[in-house]
Parts: sequence; structure tokens; C-alpha cells
Amino acid sequence: MAVVRQSGPGRLRRTAGRRLGRANWAAGVASLVWLAFVITPIYLMVKDALQTTDSYLDGGPLSLPHHLTGHNFADVFDRGFTHYLINTAIVTVASAVLTVLLAFPAAYAIVRSRSRAVSGVFRLFLAGLAIPAQATIIPVYLMITRMHLYDSLTAIVLPTVAFGLPLSVLVLSSALRDVPRELYEAMTIDGSGSVRLMWSLALPLSRASLTTVSVYSALNAWNGFLFPLILTQSDEQRVQTLGLYNFQGQFSSNIPGLMAAVLLSALPIFVVYLFARRWLVAGMAGVGGK
Amino acid sequence: MGESPLSRRTFLSAAAITGLSAPILSACGTSGPGGAKGGAKTLQAWVLVDQAQNRVQNTAVDDFNKSATGSKVKLLPISSDGAVYADKLRVSMGSPTPPDLLFNWGSGSIRNYVQAGGLMDLSDKLAADTAWKNSFLPSVLDAGKIDGKYYGIPMRGMQPVVLFYNKSLFAEQGQKPPATYDDLLKLVDFFKGKKIQPFALGGLDQWPSLMWLEYLVERSGGPSVFENIAAGKPGAWRDPAVTAALQQIRDLVGRGAFGTNFNSVNYVNDGAGLLFAKGKAAMHLMGTWEVSNQVDRHRSFAQKDLGFAPFPSVAGGKGDPNAVVGNPTNYFSITTKSGDKDAAVAFLKKEMAAPAYVDALIKTGDVPAVTGLESRLAASPQPDFARYVYQLVQKAPSFTLSWDQALMPQFKTPLLSNLQKVFAGKQSPEQFVAAMESVK
Amino acid sequence: MTAALPVARRRGVRAAEKGTDRAARPGVLWVLPATLFFMLFAGLPLVLVAVLSFTSWNGLGTPAFNGFDNWTRMASDPSVLQSLRISAVLTVLSWAVQTPLALLLGVWAAGRQRNRAVLSSLFFLPLLMSTAAIAITWLTLLDPNFGLAAKFGPSIGFPDGNIIGSSRGALGCIIVVVSWQFVPFHTLLYQAAARQIPKSLYDAATVDGAGRVRQFRHVTLPQLRNTIVTSSVLMLVGSLTYFETVLILTGGGPGGATNILPQHMYMTAFRDYQMGYASVIALALVALGTTLSMLIVRFSGFAKMRSTLEGI
Repeated sequence: MAVVRQSGPGRLRRTAGRRLGRANWAAGVASLVWLAFVITPIYLMVKDALQTTDSYLDGGPLSLPHHLTGHNFADVFDRGFTHYLINTAIVTVASAVLTVLLAFPAAYAIVRSRSRAVSGVFRLFLAGLAIPAQATIIPVYLMITRMHLYDSLTAIVLPTVAFGLPLSVLVLSSALRDVPRELYEAMTIDGSGSVRLMWSLALPLSRASLTTVSVYSALNAWNGFLFPLILTQSDEQRVQTLGLYNFQGQFSSNIPGLMAAVLLSALPIFVVYLFARRWLVAGMAGVGGK
Repeated sequence: MGESPLSRRTFLSAAAITGLSAPILSACGTSGPGGAKGGAKTLQAWVLVDQAQNRVQNTAVDDFNKSATGSKVKLLPISSDGAVYADKLRVSMGSPTPPDLLFNWGSGSIRNYVQAGGLMDLSDKLAADTAWKNSFLPSVLDAGKIDGKYYGIPMRGMQPVVLFYNKSLFAEQGQKPPATYDDLLKLVDFFKGKKIQPFALGGLDQWPSLMWLEYLVERSGGPSVFENIAAGKPGAWRDPAVTAALQQIRDLVGRGAFGTNFNSVNYVNDGAGLLFAKGKAAMHLMGTWEVSNQVDRHRSFAQKDLGFAPFPSVAGGKGDPNAVVGNPTNYFSITTKSGDKDAAVAFLKKEMAAPAYVDALIKTGDVPAVTGLESRLAASPQPDFARYVYQLVQKAPSFTLSWDQALMPQFKTPLLSNLQKVFAGKQSPEQFVAAMESVK
Repeated sequence: MTAALPVARRRGVRAAEKGTDRAARPGVLWVLPATLFFMLFAGLPLVLVAVLSFTSWNGLGTPAFNGFDNWTRMASDPSVLQSLRISAVLTVLSWAVQTPLALLLGVWAAGRQRNRAVLSSLFFLPLLMSTAAIAITWLTLLDPNFGLAAKFGPSIGFPDGNIIGSSRGALGCIIVVVSWQFVPFHTLLYQAAARQIPKSLYDAATVDGAGRVRQFRHVTLPQLRNTIVTSSVLMLVGSLTYFETVLILTGGGPGGATNILPQHMYMTAFRDYQMGYASVIALALVALGTTLSMLIVRFSGFAKMRSTLEGI
């Protein structure tokens, strides 16, 4: 199953890429068509966000932008979007940190322990992969209200982390299996216990997978919609996805304003993509490969 | 909105205290959101997100808080989408900490809460203060009654559904707004011949289509048809007025009254409003809020071209041509779990009919359900329209609440979904009636 | 991490079997926090949803047991069957659309040419946006009078741009939007996998005189078999989560044409407030998800691949 291994570019010397000298024109054209399909909505989003309400309808949907303005962004900030972004950032960081803190020791034990119970836990997480979060939303809502956590950021973090755990544990344990047994043996001679082994051996050697898991859980939390929709209500606790959903009616005809909000919601991730594309992409591919 | 991180953190810690203390407090029956220690509370007032309205509501809140010695009120705009707001409210009412004051549509929108004992009966308070009671239009105040008791105080303008038309376009083409349903059919054929869509309709959002059914049933059968449906009487959907109205809808769709792509047009993102404002559609059946929407977004159209008329009469119909449908008004209700009910009542008494609040509402274009406004409506941005609406409601023998608000929740989705099928020509009136009868 | 790793590991296993392994072994305590957390917020809800399916509960007050009422009701409820059918159609169609696209794009993007690298970095842009942001953007594009639907509708059989408002068009819109959103992710998987295919295989095929198409069929496809399975599992199980897109784009309409099972459950629970009945639908959702994954695992030998990684 581990089709996609974390690997530095160095390991990819002899690959399929350069197998054919002559260019593949048909594929090139097809990929340009796909590019047009992918880019058009993004172009329109950016273009509309930069136009005044009056001018965005002029010249049809695909025209070049004119009468550029930054007013829409100011408008979005006026409506409290900064606050939603801060909330989302809190949820994102909390979810990613909690996921790693919980998943890593579990994955380490799954790989290293000989206990029957532990391998049962592994099977539990395997089965957990198939639970659709939507299906449990009613009891989750019930539990959160009974725990008096309703309408708090904590309410979003808890189930988000829980449903992220199975995949994280699988990815991490799969990486830990690559740590050669001899290394554990060698360190044992030094007299290291399990905690030392995990901290100074397993952890440094699975850095790539830890990145994968953090990136993936952070993205999930940043873009989460269902849990915030059901588990929060007030403006104070609103995250960016719900902010967008609410802006829809509020901006009504003001599509430029709405598009500015959409653009702003993705901007932080765009910036990360720009500067740290490699590990963001590796993060996502790594999860899919498990 | 736009709070600094600091104030947010303060809020979080307040929320944490509430979460911890709620079980203890609720044991003494004083639990409430934001329940600080001691007598003074922060009362949460939930409202629909609406920039202009929220501003006015906040002035009322500020005015109250300035002189309040005990509990203060805090406004919480929840969502701009009524359905989402209702969802959130439902969820919150099931939680241990519901809001203290809640914006609602009366009737079916709060019936469940009343039955579950979640809302405070305001009848005594109103009876004890007749001046307060008489400051509201009786028909609108009564529309908020449930089982003969008052649970809501009118808190904003009345929103009947009105037939809007493009004045300049009608003048250009030498047409008049329809007085009868036959006139309406003639107008449909006329504008279609001119390659202008007769009516704008945001069918993608489903509820705009419902307005047609509401008015056509009202005109054919009078208010009792829907009263029976709302009361859950067996066979109420089989009333001939319902079938007749659905038949008229199919006829209108067949004639091209709404164009062909109406089910792809949204209202919330102004697909329909834009069609109307750009002169691509001649008329638009919509609630009175359409005026403020158009003023906000297409100012010159709203000022020059926006005309309004009552929904036409239907020949041989049992309904009074003066009757209206829509949202009689919105109400504020008080929850029984509120931490300081007396303060909540005091807030409604002091502010809801206060001249400052009413005048501020009028300035936003609202027509409040308050008595004796004739002269003050001149301050409205659309004084003609405001006077028109005020008289329309005063004259109306009945004011039927929008069906999707008035019906019990389990009817909402099937109603809108089946009606959308009728509009799309995928369901016959008989199938619609059978489908609605089968909802339990 | 060297090429000798598998050998080393195998030797390690043997050493362990002989009992010469003296390294410290973590106990059950290590998995406890994660397990408890998972059981509390994912496992317990799964049990609770089963319990709630035997109750009547309107979201206020306490759920009351009503036996098998919800279950018998579902058995004769045409709207649930219809939702199930729509879910199945959407799942199969979106799989059939996304898989070939992602496969071809991924293999193409695996090439190390500069233009491919630049283009593929653009391909991945949708990955960065949330479902809500994507659905809202597309909603404005699909306006039949002022959006792109007006422009392109006529050339794809919708002369009046009435795409999202027609039953077939609405389902098509959902498929297009989820493809736009998710194909990039699957492209990424295929790209990474295609880069792992040893060049020697292609060299051998070239010597045999195989052209590009034959190389694709006889080298690339078999080598990507595992990735196809992985990607398909993620896609099929993931299709149950298209709920957000449906909620924002069509709300299940027109006339229930896009009312997929999760949407139906959401509306039943949080619009109609029939939490008990919605729980039965939720269980159907769980059953569907589990069955899908198990079928794929069974028919692909997925389980065997997984078990080779287990229990060192």
C-alpha cells in the first residue's frame, strides 16, 4: 500500500520522466485544456474581487479586469473577517498539535509493542478510516452540548482531531516501520528506555511523516465546515469557512465583495504554497499514499 | 465585529467560566449565557444578520444599556439566511444556554419552543400595560399569538409580499400593473412577445417560488385554506384552492412567465434582483425587503424605476383581494431559561415602540408595526412605498405568514422540494397534493 | 534509509523471533490517550447514533425510545431510496470522471520537464481552497444570466444556461465542481507514484519496440495498480463527503435531484428536527461507507498489501 514514500529529490534519479526524448504534443494540449478549466474560476475570483460592483458585469464574465479597486477587501475586513481568520488559525494550530501529540506515541507503540491489545488498537484505527464524519454528527452535537462546550472553538477541535487520528496513526506507524531494528538495539545497549528511544531515535527519523501529518491535519482544520456549522453559532466563535457561508446572503448582489472574502480565506494557504510548496505537496501526497 | 484579539480572549475566558458554572447555576434556575457572578447579566439577543437592521437594533441596545443599572443586553447577529438562523436557534434552544432574547417569525417558527416550555408568556405583561400593548398594530401583534397567548413583541417592519414592476419599462410599453389575474396573463404574453422576461424568479433558492403558491391559494380560497393546513387538519392539502393554484402555476410556467432558466437563478446572490434591475425582467414578486436591497445595490434603478402594486385578484376566488401574505413582522421573544427575564421585558418595553427606535427603523426603509405612524413615515427613504405598505397592512383583513415559516419543520423541505418539481414541470398538482398529504 | 533496508528489516524480524531483541518495548499505556480520544469523539458517537436510531427526538429535551419505528419508516420511505440511488449515481460517475483524468494528468506531470513542473504547480491550486470557498465561487459562475453558464451553456446543450436548475445539469454541476476540487489531489498521488516506476522497465519496453500507448498500457498501468486502488478507495469513500458542495450549491434541489444521502440526513436532522430518523439514515451512510471500502479491499487484494506491513 505504501505506494508513495517520502523521498527527497535525490532518490528519484532513475525515473519515468525522461524516458522519451520526443515531446508528447497530444498530452501537452490536453493538459492546457485542463489548465484552462482549473484557472478560469480562479481568474474570475481574483478579477471580480478587484472590481467595483458597477463594473464587474460590464463586458461579460471573461473580460479583462478594469477599474481595479481594493475597496472590496477593506469591506470584508470591516465585516470582521480578520476575527474569523484568527479563530480559524487557533483551531488549525490546536488541531495539528493535538493530532501529532496523540498520534505519535500511539504509532510508536503500535510498531514497537508486542502487546495484543496494541495490535487490536491498530485494527481499530484501520476500521476508523471508514467512518464518515457526517454520520456521527448528531451524537457529536448531543455530546458537545451536554459537555457545555457548544459554541466554543474547543468544540470544533475535539471531533476534528478524533476523525483525523486514524489516518495520522497509519501514516506515522508506516514511517516508523522503516526505522531499522538494529538502531533500537544499538541504543538499548546505551541503556535507553522507551521514552528515550522514541525521542532521540524514532522522532528524528520520521520527521518527513510528521510533516505530512501536521500539514494534512492543519489543512483539514483550516478548511473544516461541517463541525463548525453544527457546533458553533455566534459571531465570536465563527471560523472562516462559515464566515464565507454567511457572507453569501449578506453581500447579496455584491459579488465582488463575496469573491474578495473567498480570496482572503485561501490567501494564507496560497502564501504557504508559494514559499513552502515542496513540503505542502509532500504532506498531501504522503497521506494519500498510505 | 472586527474585535481585537484581546477582547476575544476576554470573551473566551468568560465563556469558560460560564461553561463551568452552568450546571451549578441551572440548579438554582439562574443559568444564562454570559452569566457573570452576581445579579447583573449580559443578555444575549439573537437577530438575523442585516447590516442596516443590526445598526438600528444596536442603537436600541446602547440606549437601554446606558440607563440600565443591572443586566445589559448584547446583540448577536447570527446569520443572514433565515433557514440557517432557524437551524442555529433550534440547536441553541436545545442546549443548556439558549439566548435570552430571540428574533423570530412567530407562529410555526416558535411553536415547538412554546410547547417545550422554552418561551415566556408575555400576555400578563401586555395586559398590565395597555399603553404598551396599544402601541402596536393589533393585527400584527395578534399574528404572533400561539394558542391564544402572546409570546412575541413586534420588533421591526412589516414585510408583506408585493408585486414589484419596472415603472419606466411599463410606461415605455404603455402597460399598467395587473389588477386581475387575467390582466397578469395578458402582461405575461405581452412581455414575452417583446422578448422581455415577464417575471424574475430566484427558483434556485426555492422559497421565492413559494410566494406564488401562497398568494394564489389565498386569492382562490381565502385564509382558511392555509389555516387548516397549518393546523394539520386531515385532507387540508386536498382543498381545491391548492390544486387550482398549482394549475395556475403550471400555466404561468408554460406561458414563459418566468423565462426558462428560473431554477438556476438565485435570490441570495442577487441573480433575480439583477435581472429585474437590469430591465431584463419586467416584474418581481417579492417581500418588501426587495426595496432596500435594490436601493443598496442598484440605486438608480430603485429611485427611478421601482414600482409596486398589490397581487391581483382572481376572478371567482373566495379570498379578499386586500388580504396579504408574507412576514407580518419579526418578533422578539424571551426564553424561560434567561438569566434575567425582568430585564429582558424591561428592554422590550422601553425600546420596541420608542420613538427613537421606530424612527431609526423608518429611516432604514422599514415600516414598523406601530400605531399612529402616518405622519412619521415621511422620514422613510421611500416615503411613498412606506405609506403604501402601511395602508396595505391596515386594510388587509388577514395577513398570512409565509408557509415555510408557519408550518412545522418537517413540512418545510418536502414543501419546497415538491413545489420546485411543479415549477419544473416534473410533478402534477395531484402528485404534489398526494406528496404533501403523506408528510407526517 | 538505504536500499538495503528491507533486508535489514527481515534480518531484524528473525532476530526478534529468536528472542535476541533486548530493546525496550512500549506498553499499552502509550496508545491509551489516542485510543481514548478516538473512542470518545468518534467511537462513542457511532454507538450513540445506533442508540438514537431507536428513539424519537426533536433536538430539544430528551430522546424517547420508540422501538423500530424509524427503521420500518425508512424501509418504506421512497425519499431515502431515492437519495441512496442519487448517492450511488454521483459516487460512480464522479469516480469514472476523476480517475482517468487524475491518472493521465498525474503520469504526465510526473515528467521532469520544466513546463510540466510549472503547469502542475498551477494544477494544484484548487487543493488550497476550502469546499465552502470553491462552492461559493462556482455558484456565481453558474448564474444563467450573468455568469459563465450563460456563455458556455449553449455549447453543452443548455441553450438558456439553465444548468444547475435542471435535474441532470445539477448533478453534472456537482460532478464538475468536485472534480475541479479533488482531481488535483489524485493527480498528486499518481504523479508521485509514476515517479517511482523504475526506468529500466521502460527501457526494456523500448527495446521491445513498444510505442507510447503500449508502454502506458503494459508498464505504467500495471505499476500504478496499487495507487489506482488507493485513489479509488479515497474517492469512493470521500464521495460521501460531497455534502458541503451540495448544501451550498443546490441545497439538494432542484426537486430533490441532488439530494444525496448525507444531505438528506442533514436536512432531516437539522431542518426537520427528526434526529431519531436522521440517525437511521446516518447508519445507512456508515453501512454504505464500510461496504464500499470492504468491497474494494476484497476485490483488489488491498488487505494483503496492508498485512505485509503489519506486525514486525
